[in-house]
Amino acid sequence: MLPNLFINGFSVLQGDAAAEDFAPFMDVRKLRRAEPISKNALLCALRAFEQARITDEDRAHLAISLAMGAGALSSTLKFMDSIIEDGDELSSPTAFASSVHNSTALFLSLVLGIHGPCVVTGQLDASFAGALLTAQQFLAKNKCEQVLVAVTEDVNTLFSDLLHKEPHAMDPFIYQPQLPPTRLAGALVVSAKPTPATQFVLHSVSLAPTADVHTHSEPLLPIHSCAHSVLLLAEYLKKKESFALREQFAGVVLEIEGSVYVRP
Amino acid sequence: MAVYPVSVAAMGCVCACGRTAEETFEGARNGQANFALPKGRVVSTYTEKYPVFLVPPAVYTDKPQDQTFSQFFFIKAALETFKQAGISPVQLRTVRTGVVIGSSVHCSFHCFEIYKRWKQNALTEADKQGLRNYLATPLAQWVSTYFGFTGPFQTVVTACASGTDAIGLAKSWIDTGLCDAVLCGGTDELTESPYDGFIRLMVSTPTRCRPFCKTRSGINIGEGAAALLLVNRQTAEKLNLPCQGYVLGYGNCCDGFHPTAPDPQATGLQKALQEALKEAGKTAADLAFVNAHGTASQANDKAESVAFRALLPGVPVWGSKGVTGHTLGAAGAIEAVLTLQALNRRVLPATVGFAEPDEQLQLVPTTQNSPLEKRFAVSDSLAFGGCNAAIVLGAKDAA
Repeated sequence: MLPNLFINGFSVLQGDAAAEDFAPFMDVRKLRRAEPISKNALLCALRAFEQARITDEDRAHLAISLAMGAGALSSTLKFMDSIIEDGDELSSPTAFASSVHNSTALFLSLVLGIHGPCVVTGQLDASFAGALLTAQQFLAKNKCEQVLVAVTEDVNTLFSDLLHKEPHAMDPFIYQPQLPPTRLAGALVVSAKPTPATQFVLHSVSLAPTADVHTHSEPLLPIHSCAHSVLLLAEYLKKKESFALREQFAGVVLEIEGSVYVRP
Repeated sequence: MAVYPVSVAAMGCVCACGRTAEETFEGARNGQANFALPKGRVVSTYTEKYPVFLVPPAVYTDKPQDQTFSQFFFIKAALETFKQAGISPVQLRTVRTGVVIGSSVHCSFHCFEIYKRWKQNALTEADKQGLRNYLATPLAQWVSTYFGFTGPFQTVVTACASGTDAIGLAKSWIDTGLCDAVLCGGTDELTESPYDGFIRLMVSTPTRCRPFCKTRSGINIGEGAAALLLVNRQTAEKLNLPCQGYVLGYGNCCDGFHPTAPDPQATGLQKALQEALKEAGKTAADLAFVNAHGTASQANDKAESVAFRALLPGVPVWGSKGVTGHTLGAAGAIEAVLTLQALNRRVLPATVGFAEPDEQLQLVPTTQNSPLEKRFAVSDSLAFGGCNAAIVLGAKDAA
C-alpha cells in the first residue's frame, strides 16, 4: 500500500542562494567550492529541515530523493568547454566529476550528514514527480523515517541564447521565452506518518505519459523545468488550502492531490 | 506458479559480448567480446590509445536516425524480453505497466557537436531538431510512449548504480501495488564526455581491465543495455508468463564520502547489502555468488573486498566487466541478467582479466567456470557520489 506523504517542511528558491543566506545554518566557507545548483538545493533543504524540526540525530534516519531535470548543466558545459578550448588532454577532470547527476546528491549527503538510501531522478520536466514517487516507495518499504525530496535545476545557456534569438525555436516544449532564465530549487521533508511539524498531506501522486506533447499548465518559468511543479506546489502550500495540482507538459500528465494537515 | 511475489518473466540484453541475454552469458563464459579502439564512435585524441567495450556495429545497422544509441539498445533489449516472454506490448497494456530505466550518459546534456556549433554561432536547423528531440525524449517516458504503456515511469540517474536502482525500484513498485508489471533495466552509450572524463580522472586503462587483480590498472568504458520484465503473481498467471527468476531484495545507501571514490570502509555498501539481504530474507549462507561491481579501479575493488569480507565471507565473487566493460548506467542491469543466467544454467563463470591475487584485498574472484548449486545471488553497484545499491536475485527454480 502506498502511504500518504506528510509534508513537514518545504522551501523553494528562484535564483541563486547568497552567502549570507547560509549564516543561520552553517559556516558558508565550507561551501566555497560547491556548484550553484548544489548550494541552492542545500539552502532549500536547510530551510525545510528547520521547519520540519530535523535534529542531527534525525538525519541518520533520512533518505534523499533528488530531482535534477537536465542534470548538472553548468559543469557538463564547463567540461565540454574545456575539451573544445583546451583539447581533451587538458580537459577538466573536476568539471567531469561535477557533471555527474550524483554530484549534488553527494554534496547534500556530505554536508547534511545523511547516510541513508539515495536515488536521483533525471527526466526533465517530470523529475520532481519521479522523486516524489521514490520518496513514497522508500517510506512504504520502511527504508527510512523521513525523506528529503530535493529539486534543483540549472540554466542551459545554449537554450537561453537560442530562445532569446528565436523565441519559438523549441516549440512546443519551451514557452515564455521572454522571461529571464534563472536557476531554481526546492526541498520538501516528507514522512509516512504525521510528525509534530506536519503542515500538509499529499493524498496521491501520479505520473503517466500522454500522447499530447503540448503544455497545459500555468506558465511560471521561461523553460518548463522539473522545478516548475515544485514551485507550483509551493504556491498551493502557501495558500494553505486543499488542492489538486494537474500539469500536462511535453507528453506527461502529473497529478498531485493534497490538503492542509488537521491534527486529530 | 511463481514462488516469490516479484518474478522476472523474461530478460533481454545487448552489449560488447552478446546481442541477446543468452549470447551475453556465452560471451562472459568464454571471455569473448568486442574490445576495440573507438575510432569513428567518438572524437578524441585518446582513440588510438584507450580501447573500450563496444556493441558490435552489425547490431545497429538499422538504428533509426532520430534515436540515440541508448534508446536503440534499450528497445532492442526490450523487444528480446517481450519475445522471450511470449507477449506483446499490446497485451501488457491490459495491466498497470510501468517503466523504470537507469542511465547516466543519455540523461546528460551531451549534445557535443551541437554545442560546438552553437559556440561558433553556427547552429543548423538539424541542430534545432536535435535539441527538440532531446527535450522530447526523457528516457523512461520515451520508452513508455514507444510501447504504448500508460503507467508511471522513472529515469534513474544515480550514475553507475542506476541499473541496479532501476530494478530495485521496479520491484518496490510491484511490492507496493503501484504496478502489476514493470519493464526495467538500464542503458548507456559511448560518448566523448565519459570517455575523456574517466581518462582525465586517471581511472581508465589502455589495457583490458583486470578486476580484483594485483596488477589491475583501471577501467574500460563499455556500452549496452539490458531489460527485464518484472511482474506480480496475478499478472504472471493472467498473461501466462514464463518465469526466469526472482527479484527478492533491494538495498541502497549513500556514503557521503567523496565525489568520485567510494568510502574505503565501504560503510554505505555494507548497509546496502544488509538491507537487500534483509528484504530478501536471505543470509550469506544462501548465496551461490556475488556479482561484484568489480570495475578494476584501485579504490572500487578495495572497497568491495572490505564489504565482501565483512558480510559475505566465503561467498564466491564474480567480476564480469572484463567482458562487458563498465557500461555505466546500464551496468547493474546487464549484471543482473548475467547473474540470472548463471543461476539458471548453474554455471559460475571465471572473472575474465583476473590473473594474480592482490594480498591487500584478501579476495580471489572466480578463476574458472565452475558448477553452482545454490539458487540465490547478489549483484551490487557503486557509483560516483557514493551511491551504493544491491539486489538479491533468485533462480527460476528457487524455492
